[in-house]
Amino acid sequence: MRASSSQDRIEGGSEGRPAAPLPLLLAAWLIPGLGHLILGKKNRAAVFAAVIAASFLTGVVLHGALAVPQPGAPFSWLAFLACFGNGVLYIAGHLFGFGNGTAVTAGFGYGNTFFITAGLMNLLAVLDVSDISKGAKD
Amino acid sequence: MDHFLLLVWHAFLVSIFFAFLWRSGRRERVKLFSKMFIVMVLGAVLLGWLMYPVP
Repeated sequence: MRASSSQDRIEGGSEGRPAAPLPLLLAAWLIPGLGHLILGKKNRAAVFAAVIAASFLTGVVLHGALAVPQPGAPFSWLAFLACFGNGVLYIAGHLFGFGNGTAVTAGFGYGNTFFITAGLMNLLAVLDVSDISKGAKD
Repeated sequence: MDHFLLLVWHAFLVSIFFAFLWRSGRRERVKLFSKMFIVMVLGAVLLGWLMYPVP
């Protein structure tokens, strides 16, 4: 008989794989590439860290803004979630003021896009770390 | 600021990322990178031309 969905969640999926450890996923989110480095995927870790950092830095150079949720603007939450995917870069951007953005500059819109792209790539990398740690991917 | 250069840079970063995320062999990665990069750059240029008459 098919196991219940709640049982699946406890076991980490329908194939009975254990769930990915939370500290590993947190490390992967906080510092791009760290999750893969911990799992011994050095090449992937280096490339992901470099690509995500390069995308983020391009956003900074173009005076983009790291999105924050705005009241009455539901789509700002999506931009926020994507930017928040940058982990420590997002936090540092707000702490040190290099992600505040300048709406009057020509690169503002492009800068936002690069911030969002970097965050989404890091979130995908976190999912990859989860899959690798569960043995679902090499 | 060159808009086309930014487009190429964005396509380059995204293509490298997905090549390493979705493929494991060197040959497969190069193949996917090339395919994604060309499709993104040429696709954006083509879309730009198609949108040209739109005010």
